[in-house]
Amino acid sequence: MVHLTIDGTRVQAKEGEMLLKVIKQLGIDVPSLCDHDAVEPFGACRLCLVEITKQSWDGWKKYVTSCLYPVEDGLIVNTQAEKVVEARKTLIDLQLARCPGSPEIQQLAADYGITQTSYEPKIDSDNCILCGLCTRICEHMGFAAISTVDRGPDRRIASPLDEPPPDCIGCLACAINCPTNVIPYTEKGNKRTIWDKEFELITCSKCGRKTITRDFARALSKMRDIPEAYFEVCDACHRAETATNMGRIAGWSRREEAAS
Amino acid sequence: MTNRFVVTPNLCIGCRTCELACSFRHSVNGKPGQTRIFAVAGPMKEMWVPVTCLQCEDPACAKSCLVDAISRNEETGAMEIDQEKCVKCMACVAACPFGCSIHDQQHHMIVKCDLCGGEPACAQFCPTKALVYQPVGSAKPKVVA
Repeated sequence: MVHLTIDGTRVQAKEGEMLLKVIKQLGIDVPSLCDHDAVEPFGACRLCLVEITKQSWDGWKKYVTSCLYPVEDGLIVNTQAEKVVEARKTLIDLQLARCPGSPEIQQLAADYGITQTSYEPKIDSDNCILCGLCTRICEHMGFAAISTVDRGPDRRIASPLDEPPPDCIGCLACAINCPTNVIPYTEKGNKRTIWDKEFELITCSKCGRKTITRDFARALSKMRDIPEAYFEVCDACHRAETATNMGRIAGWSRREEAAS
Repeated sequence: MTNRFVVTPNLCIGCRTCELACSFRHSVNGKPGQTRIFAVAGPMKEMWVPVTCLQCEDPACAKSCLVDAISRNEETGAMEIDQEKCVKCMACVAACPFGCSIHDQQHHMIVKCDLCGGEPACAQFCPTKALVYQPVGSAKPKVVA
């Protein structure tokens, strides 16, 4: 256990824990876009910037991205220091120039009192902040179907050779967890399309509800040894089956027979 | 793990008090949340079965979770979802053979029974004791057949 001070509050934290996690647990509002507990911290958006110092540092201060900074004993953290807010404003201003059409970035900018970017807004922007959360989650789940491609101003998220990615199983984890919701997908009937690849959705054999994609079910049963038959029925029909089976165990079938 | 969650379908009257209790215990921002327990009509009319997570020994939900967000709470024995880790891929919802991993569409999160951290609200409020949370060994063995 290490002891540190965050915005005047003395707190205890586990060794090795990242500063941002402790800050969030305290309920302090520090913006962050690219952070997700499922994957390793990455430090792409830089918005979780904080000011740190120690009594032994003789008044020297450091500015670090809290998602990547492990907690230390005796650390004094200021999440709302003037310089920090100023730097965050610049970062948000730049994001707004890159993603002028993103409602999430616009809201963040409005929270920091920015209505118009002071830079040249990008024309025909895809509103992607290039944090790579989608690629990191996809890789962590064991598929790595998409990645960042090209460099510099041309950098973007894409499938290999911009063709339908062969490793994609259509789970939508990339689209759902995107901090700016810019990964498009469509669902029509029992077909789901994402990254230009079409997937068949499993239709519940009892009620006809759509569940996950056939490819995802196949991948799961292969990777984690789950019978593929589990995926044929939706959760509500599984519960009805459970009720029937439990009723049978409770001896209802015999009563049923006696009643008839 | 010193307590056991016991379901006796024969005592269930289908009043759905358990669903309400669960909803209120798992409220989100002061509003009732998605229930984790369901009173499902059984094979016969007027026969009900409260269906909730069985906290399996070898759970399909945890096996299907590719980001390892589902783990057992060693204190209560319940399988719990780490909401911060969950990527909402719906694998566990599809994989659970008992249908007890549920997609809360209102708040867009995946939920399941967590035994309320050791004090299940459904058992506290069940009027007919169809749901009981009791110390292991206190249940009388019932002779069937």
